[in-house]
Amino acid sequence: MSLILALAIALTVAAGVYLALSRDLFRCIVGLAVLGSAVNLVVFAAGRFGPIQPPIVSAGAEKLAEHAANPLPQALVLTAIVISFALLCFSLVLGARLRQQSGSDDSNQLRNAEPLPADPVKPPVLD
Amino acid sequence: MQATDLKPHAAKARYLSVALPPLAGFLLLIWGLIHHPLPWQGSLDWAPSLGLTFAVYVDGLSAQFLALITGIGALVFLYATGYLAGEPRQGRLFLILTVFMLAMIGVVIADHLLLLFLFWELTSLTSFLLVGFYHENEQSRTSARQALLVTMSGGLALLAAILLLGEISGGYSLQALIAQGPTLADDPRLPAALILLLVGCFTKSAQFPFHFWLPNAMTAPTPVSAYLHSATMVKLGIYLLARLDPALNHLLLWESALMSIGTLTAVWGAVLALRERDLKRILAWSTVSALGTLTLLIGLPNPGAGLAVAAFLFAHALYKAPLFMVAGNIDHATGTRVIDHLMGLHRAMPWTAMAAILAGLSMAGLPLSFGFVAKDLISVAKADAEVLTVVSYATLFVNAIAAAVAGIATLRVFGGPPRWPRGEAHEVSWRMALPPLLIALVAIEFEFLPGVADPLLGAAAIAIAPSLGVIRDIDASYPSGKVITATEITLLVGLILFLIWDWLHGLLQRIHWLDRIGPTACYELLLKQLTRVAAWQTGLLQRGRLAGYLSWTLTGLLALAIGASFAMHQASEPGWGGLLDWSTLVFADWPAQHWAWLTAAVLMIAGAAASMVLRHRMALLMASGLVGYGSAVLFLFTGAPDLAFTQFAVETALVVVAAALLPHYGAPPVLSNEPVLRNALLALASGAGVLLLLVHLFALPADAQLATWFGEASLPLAHGRNVVNVIIVDFRALDTLGEITVVMFSLLAALPLLGALARSVKREG
Repeated sequence: MSLILALAIALTVAAGVYLALSRDLFRCIVGLAVLGSAVNLVVFAAGRFGPIQPPIVSAGAEKLAEHAANPLPQALVLTAIVISFALLCFSLVLGARLRQQSGSDDSNQLRNAEPLPADPVKPPVLD
Repeated sequence: MQATDLKPHAAKARYLSVALPPLAGFLLLIWGLIHHPLPWQGSLDWAPSLGLTFAVYVDGLSAQFLALITGIGALVFLYATGYLAGEPRQGRLFLILTVFMLAMIGVVIADHLLLLFLFWELTSLTSFLLVGFYHENEQSRTSARQALLVTMSGGLALLAAILLLGEISGGYSLQALIAQGPTLADDPRLPAALILLLVGCFTKSAQFPFHFWLPNAMTAPTPVSAYLHSATMVKLGIYLLARLDPALNHLLLWESALMSIGTLTAVWGAVLALRERDLKRILAWSTVSALGTLTLLIGLPNPGAGLAVAAFLFAHALYKAPLFMVAGNIDHATGTRVIDHLMGLHRAMPWTAMAAILAGLSMAGLPLSFGFVAKDLISVAKADAEVLTVVSYATLFVNAIAAAVAGIATLRVFGGPPRWPRGEAHEVSWRMALPPLLIALVAIEFEFLPGVADPLLGAAAIAIAPSLGVIRDIDASYPSGKVITATEITLLVGLILFLIWDWLHGLLQRIHWLDRIGPTACYELLLKQLTRVAAWQTGLLQRGRLAGYLSWTLTGLLALAIGASFAMHQASEPGWGGLLDWSTLVFADWPAQHWAWLTAAVLMIAGAAASMVLRHRMALLMASGLVGYGSAVLFLFTGAPDLAFTQFAVETALVVVAAALLPHYGAPPVLSNEPVLRNALLALASGAGVLLLLVHLFALPADAQLATWFGEASLPLAHGRNVVNVIIVDFRALDTLGEITVVMFSLLAALPLLGALARSVKREG
């Protein structure tokens, strides 16, 4: 069964990368979102897909039951989900503003930080 | 003459004192030599855990170098106060010169190889600063960079050699290494160590093909040339070669490399001296030639050569340093160093002329000079060693050219009717006239009072060739009678070369191809190609395109993933067959949980596939949301309800935010010539890499250590039953604080952008 899940995660990664490589800024950002979900799943998979029992110490018990799920990857992924949400929202706003200013969706056109070199040997000089 | 003109006496007194430290060092050395027999040794723990000790060992060879460094140093410092009078930056020069002197002392007294290396590099660095002292001059900067690149590359080779030698001998003590001597030969790593060592020494001592930096370094102020590039630093390579010669001279590689490169350098330097018109550069080429002779002498197998090395080392420093100073004085007085414009200066500059003639006597190897003794010893050493005829003739030729150069620097420049470009040439100040005269006089005095020089030379010679035994009187041990004819022939040839100098010069000047194929040309080509390769690879890796950077990053990650999978494959037992356990795919055996997983997988796959093909933006958003929902379902059925609810919420919110911003993005652009196939291939490869990683990961046993610990510690330490929550808010609370900060900052960063968006929308509307 893990094999099917691994395949699904791999496909999600492929879709995320494919979208992120796009020159269209919007697709690029959506790609990051998909890639983010996929990477979260990879981290989660490192703790193995296992029991359905949540990692909660049951009343009266002193420690977590043997058959509960692995809590550590859950904690890591929970943090990651929230952070990636915040950053994606910011990216979407930034992308919208960029597009409004430059008038282009093409990420190849965004060259303010690295203008095309005038001299083939020397690196471009930034003002 | 600028600021210092106001208070000339104060400035003079201030800078005269800079000569005191080397002078004090020199006097201390003399006192020590008289009262304490060599060798002196001592050691101080520096970093014991690394096996580093500040180990010091001073024997005859070190003492000889110390005498040169401090003795000539004191006079060079004095000379520099005159030469640089009025130069506003002379304080800087003296500071660097002093650091250089200390580094030199460090090299020659160090017994620990790494300590030696440290000081060795410090001399390269200070040499760079000194050669580039007139940094407003482009030629000066180029030369300084050249000297730095050549000697520092050699320094790297030397470091590798030192590490190898340390591995081979099991320690970094020079004396221990020398004591091991012949037993080293069995190690297969020795040839590599030797070659690296030779490269290190040859770059420092300007041996062919690394010699070119030395004449170019003549852009340095003259005191620097006299000190670094004749008397001390360029002899460091010679020092290390001579120092290690007792341990290595039984090796054929060592001997043949030293003899062949030494001879080649000696001849090459001598010939190229003929191509120059600048007195200082002529002297520099003859220095290259002399360094070649020294290398050749170290390569000679017989112990007599050790004595010749010690004597010639001394003689060369004692005549070349004054000659450089003489060149500097002429430059000062007449404004030029080009020998065509200079004649008959003896009347105008009598003291400088006297120094030049005394030093010239020694350089030509005429009787009554110390150079005569040195040349004599060289001839004897070569006669004893029965060297190849070629080497023999080469030395004769080299010595003849040295004699001719001595003639140029003395007879031609100072003799004859007065002629020089400036109206009035005058004698330089005593601070510039005295040092060359003093050094040259010392050389003469050594010849007349052998009792002063012989013990020091003897001690140095024994350090180079331990089998020599104690020498009290050099003249007595090596009677010069049988080689007197060789000296006569040398002088005769030298005289002829002196007379036909201009004709020879014209002849050599016309050989232009020499400039195109020489090592200098190779160096320049290498430098140019280096920048071109750098530009090419920068252009390849950094195109300034987002997708390009992402592609390279992904390629790197992919390589890492494949490497990690390979490592895991080595560690896991079952091999490929065990990895793919097809039996788990039999639907009939599945529990309900697995059906839920399958649903999640299907959702994700559908979302992923749809997002790749859909172009409409809202549809694309929905498809990507499907992926998030799929993973949320998976979380829900793997015991992670918190994750599932967060993911559901986030995914929904993200779609809402994106949909709200969609109007700002407009319709999807039609981007022609997008490398779809290449992107798809890279995406597939990334997916395959992750699949490979996951399949291998699942084959390994899960490490439950941390999970168990958190499960046990949650209640007693943090008083919480929800272990995930406890981890987030307690065990990794700082992390969570960081996370909240990131969320807050992205909001703060987005606010002004949103404001700008809204304003422009209002303007348009």
